[in-house]
Amino acid sequence: MKMKLTRENVIRWAPALVLLGLVVLFTAINPAFLSQRNLARIALAATPPMMVALGVTFIIVMGSIDLSMEGAVSLCAVLFCLLFLKLGGSLGAGAWLAIPAILLCGAFFGWLTGMVHVRLQIPSFMASLAMGFVGTGAAVLVTGGDIVRIDDDVFRALLTWRILGFPLMVHIAVLLVLLAWFIQNHTTLGRNFYAVGGGEELAHASGVNVRRVRLAGFALAGVFYAIAAIFQVARLGQAESVTGANLMFIAITSVVVGGVALWGGIGGVLNAVVGVLIVNVIGNGMVVIGLPNYLQDGLLGVLVIVAVVLSTDRRLVSFAK
Amino acid sequence: MTMQRIKPHLPWITLLVLTAMVGVVDPNFLRPANLLSLAGDIVPLFIMALGLTFAIYIGGIDLSVQSMANMITVIASIYLASLGAWVAVLCIAAGFGLGMVSGFLTTRLCVPSFISTLAVGGVCFSIAQWLSGNRALNMDAEQRNAVFGWMIGHTGIVPNELFLAAALLALCLFIERRTILGRVLKAVGAGEPAAKASGIDVGRYKMLAFAISGALAAIAGLLFSVKLSGGAPTIANGFLLPAIVAVLVGGTPLTGGVGGVLNTLIGTLIVAVIRASMLYLGVEATQQQMLFGLVLIGAIALTIDRSKLRTVK
Repeated sequence: MKMKLTRENVIRWAPALVLLGLVVLFTAINPAFLSQRNLARIALAATPPMMVALGVTFIIVMGSIDLSMEGAVSLCAVLFCLLFLKLGGSLGAGAWLAIPAILLCGAFFGWLTGMVHVRLQIPSFMASLAMGFVGTGAAVLVTGGDIVRIDDDVFRALLTWRILGFPLMVHIAVLLVLLAWFIQNHTTLGRNFYAVGGGEELAHASGVNVRRVRLAGFALAGVFYAIAAIFQVARLGQAESVTGANLMFIAITSVVVGGVALWGGIGGVLNAVVGVLIVNVIGNGMVVIGLPNYLQDGLLGVLVIVAVVLSTDRRLVSFAK
Repeated sequence: MTMQRIKPHLPWITLLVLTAMVGVVDPNFLRPANLLSLAGDIVPLFIMALGLTFAIYIGGIDLSVQSMANMITVIASIYLASLGAWVAVLCIAAGFGLGMVSGFLTTRLCVPSFISTLAVGGVCFSIAQWLSGNRALNMDAEQRNAVFGWMIGHTGIVPNELFLAAALLALCLFIERRTILGRVLKAVGAGEPAAKASGIDVGRYKMLAFAISGALAAIAGLLFSVKLSGGAPTIANGFLLPAIVAVLVGGTPLTGGVGGVLNTLIGTLIVAVIRASMLYLGVEATQQQMLFGLVLIGAIALTIDRSKLRTVK
């Protein structure tokens, strides 16, 4: 099939074009931007937010929102470290069990958020916001405000073992992106997310169990938050109650910049990937071209707006909330 | 009395029950002086939440309020010396203008308010860092007392902040109930396409809603800097989520069109009572945040009026 240069196509590919434009721009100003070392740095920084963004993408596609990721990631990271240490403190010596345990734990936390949302009929924004407090609070409670460290060489290989110049966790993240893409496009659950996001009443009328789909969506997001937590721990070598801080706005901004509509049903995993890369390229690029620190937040905001404006089809959107 | 008729009253009933519960455990809590000083302490949060109500009322959100307040504390601290009382005008104008920018991005460029206000917040943060050189600034105490002293003293046992809060509440209530702007905002929140179809220039009014939110965040920032006699680019951090929570707990859901500024008054008080109750009930610091989240879920589950929500997203 030949790609035609129509309006629709341009807008569909706008996020990717924005990403390309940014890369060209930063490279033009400082060629070191495109160096292998710097690309690895970007990829590494993008890995945990990428996992969070993948998780929240499923929720946003359903037309809901999830703001619990900071609490979920902090709690999972802290529990992971504690469990890891309890199981021997070395990946070879049985501590690998901590990984599936924490994925389950993430799924449970997400499912709980889903239950608060679905059973108590609280809009997801508030349900997940409150559950975020609970998650962070639980992390504080478990650690008593302390930092838990892990220095197992086998586990830290996620960070230190480089293949083709990129840390191992970046490669795993790529596989997980493929997995998320597969779930979205080739499973019933993935298609049901779009059915619910496109029109909840219609989905319900055509026999989709909307409540169950929502619960499954939040649980799935929880698993991705748990993965993000494991990557965060691998990257930093420690966990505390603020391990998940700042992930919320970054992840949601990324997803929207990538072209996923907040009102549901539009966009998907690949948009989230492009979005995360755009936000991280902007963040890294500003440092590489040597902008003063104080300008970065403002410029990031302006560039994010530009990216969203370029990738929104204003003929289709009658209004924005 | 059916459940349907009790529902709209649940926010203030929740407030009374919570207050009474803390009062039973520690009667000291209920002393008027204590309640008044508690109320006085949360006035900056209340003013911020008051503005945020307008953004949420139309189904949007304003995530810039915290950065806005931060920026204003810096501006107020720097320009108090040269501008005197006019610095208040500068602050409010800056808040109004930047709120207008958020509104413009949202209405004219179709950027969701979640993103547009976050971006404007980033710009505010940059401005604050640039102006302050990333340092904490101090106001000249004498000049502060001369110009803004009336904001923070006491009249009898009543903290003066409460008068400011009452005046702003009255103003917002007037806007909400007695002006075209207020009616249009309700129409927009209840159903934007319908409001548009009936010939209203929806965009203009929505921009005003964000501008009001910005202006009130600026006033909150100004009050904050006067109280602390200084400013810094991160001094008001930690206010954003409680402000959102205050609006939501009061019963103005994110879907818009329901609730209003009076609800926010009750919501802010609920948040304040929950926070204070932890001190009075002797909850350990490490447990407070988790408990706050759990109580929040309970409070929202009780207060939210679902009859006007078609689907719960």
